Amino acid sequence: MTGNWLIELTGIVLTALLAFTVGMFYGGLRRKVIARAQNRVGPPVYQNFLDLLKLQGKTTNVTHGLMTHLAPVWVLVAAITALLFIPVLHGGLWFPNFTFKGDLIFLLYLMVMGSLGMALGVGETGNPNGAIGVSRGLSLITGYEIPFVLSLVAIMIQFHTTSLTDLMHYQQATGHWIARENPFAFLAALFSVLGMFHYSPFDIIGAPAELASGPMSEFGGKYLGSLMTGGSIFAFVKLVLITDLFLGGAGHPDAYTGAAGVLLGLVELVIKTFLLYMIPVSIGIVMPRFRTEQAVRFFWRWPLLFGALGIIWAVFWK
Amino acid sequence: MSETKDIRIITRPTKEQIRQAQIDFAPRCTAAGRVNDKETQKMVQYILNFARKHSLFLLAYGTGCGAIEIPATLTSRYDAERLGIRGAATPRQADVLMITGYLSTKTLKRVIRVYEQMQDPKYVVAFGSCTINGGMYFDSYNTIKALDRYIPVDVYIAGCMPRPEAVLKGFAKLQELIQNGNAGNGECYRKNLDWYRANQQKVIKNWDFPDEYNW
Amino acid sequence: MTTQDIIRALNETFELKAEVLHGNQIRVSMHKKQVAPVLLYLKNQWGFIHLDHVSCVDWIEENVFELVYIVYRPQDQLTVLVKTKIHREHPEMENMEGFWPHMRTYQREIREMFGIEFPGFEAPREFILEGWEEIPPMRRDFDTRGYVKRTYTTRPGREDAWSVREYITRRTGEKLPDFARKYSRD
Repeated sequence: MTGNWLIELTGIVLTALLAFTVGMFYGGLRRKVIARAQNRVGPPVYQNFLDLLKLQGKTTNVTHGLMTHLAPVWVLVAAITALLFIPVLHGGLWFPNFTFKGDLIFLLYLMVMGSLGMALGVGETGNPNGAIGVSRGLSLITGYEIPFVLSLVAIMIQFHTTSLTDLMHYQQATGHWIARENPFAFLAALFSVLGMFHYSPFDIIGAPAELASGPMSEFGGKYLGSLMTGGSIFAFVKLVLITDLFLGGAGHPDAYTGAAGVLLGLVELVIKTFLLYMIPVSIGIVMPRFRTEQAVRFFWRWPLLFGALGIIWAVFWK
Repeated sequence: MSETKDIRIITRPTKEQIRQAQIDFAPRCTAAGRVNDKETQKMVQYILNFARKHSLFLLAYGTGCGAIEIPATLTSRYDAERLGIRGAATPRQADVLMITGYLSTKTLKRVIRVYEQMQDPKYVVAFGSCTINGGMYFDSYNTIKALDRYIPVDVYIAGCMPRPEAVLKGFAKLQELIQNGNAGNGECYRKNLDWYRANQQKVIKNWDFPDEYNW
Repeated sequence: MTTQDIIRALNETFELKAEVLHGNQIRVSMHKKQVAPVLLYLKNQWGFIHLDHVSCVDWIEENVFELVYIVYRPQDQLTVLVKTKIHREHPEMENMEGFWPHMRTYQREIREMFGIEFPGFEAPREFILEGWEEIPPMRRDFDTRGYVKRTYTTRPGREDAWSVREYITRRTGEKLPDFARKYSRD
């Protein structure tokens, strides 16, 4: 955004650190919320950090080859790369992003990169549970990607742009969230978020009881730690993307300036993403697990209908 | 009635005798595993041990009768997750191998494979009397009598069955050992592999382990 | 009335002497060649469609194994115990895996635990035990205590593992019966 590469680099590191911290705390909060719903005390909120520290402190790590090494790194890199193309704060100098015309379409591709790298790594371990998990994961992607793409296409038609920053500018300028401008597209995207998080009832990929945690079954120690880190950052990426697209984003370059402005923007961001995050979490508490074909069929019914309605809305109620 | 006196008088052994008997019985990895060198990198090891002790991924090997106590320990009533104990799905991810109840020779083979697939530092919690001295299966032709002849054990939980309170007490003991750097015998097991293999092969008749495989 | 009908029918068809064990249990003993026809007759003619259990008893004093096939009729909760005795030397019994599907499980267990052969029965030989090299462990001439002492190492301090029978007789001052002394495992 600016010419100064030092500030940009600092911003990138800061963004990654922020995403990591917030994502890990959200994971801990999720465990706490589930525990309270089951009338338990639950682990402390920082439990995920302890888990990560312990996993990184393992003294041996078994490997099955080069792709097993690369898969967790791939997941981590895909998550951070996706993060760099998403405006964390609107127009801020401290959290830069490589935005360009058409980055929405680019993000669509980037968001499945992690799963693909994981699939390659799992393929090398030769674990049958992992192979089943990967095939289930790819089936689930065919389920939730279609309503998600439909909802994005609806927005692109409605606002004649494929740039995330343009959409944020529109929301900031008019004060109208896109969730209000095109509610059907928002609904379809919400349903896809349920699938993206792989929480119950869509936890068919890493089902511990039937698949022994699926693709992760051969990854222990430091590999598992890297996967956990990548997953936390990616969870934050998904939440910020939906917030930017439909809930107006966070931060207001005109209203607040300086460090106080950044801080206020971050608070706004945390509130919005946390409320959004509680939707898949609270659904996951009460729902049992779908079978694979039930999950895919679910996404091809109501979410698909909402996506189609979103396109019709975008065309006729412009 | 005079015969009642001379049935068989058990003289109580002294503490020194008990210790010597233990060393003679399973001399390898009983007292203290050497996971880390506490003298160097003291601060790092303190932090790492703190994290290890508060984050125990539990792999419950429940083919014996004690498996029913584990769900009670992990779920709402006793809530082991508040201490950082949660279930792991596979041996690769697990830290604690918990062996509940008796082990037949058939399951012992699987337990050894599972133990060898876990990553260091790894801990073994033996649960119930059967793992200590055979329990009520002391004269069964098909169950092993003492687990630490075959894999190193960190903590024993006595009882038949131990209640979830006892299980949590055992985990508290394990956490204490981890904080002091005295738990986790994977390194010691690999070092004394010949002794353990000899014991294992004495019991497991159809031995088909590969000679060298990736740990 | 139905128990009497069945007893009469067994007597007329096979010339067997059946008797009522309890209210709804009938016991009938026979030669081992008659077991398959009797079971089929009970299943097809009298509606004993369910096989409850197949158990084996080692009567080492009489040098026989006793096999008990328990069949059951759900309509009136009627049970028939079909008993037969086979010699301990080269024990063989007819293979009846086609009668009920779960007969396979019982036959595999009996073959492994008592060493009774079923000619023509092609299920895998290993069922519960793995790599067993001794005589079948449920036979009474198998020396369990000796095997345990040979194979396993007991932890020192477990001195209370003595013979319970001997302990009780010595405590109460009662004389150990002859049969108990003869077949005691110590």
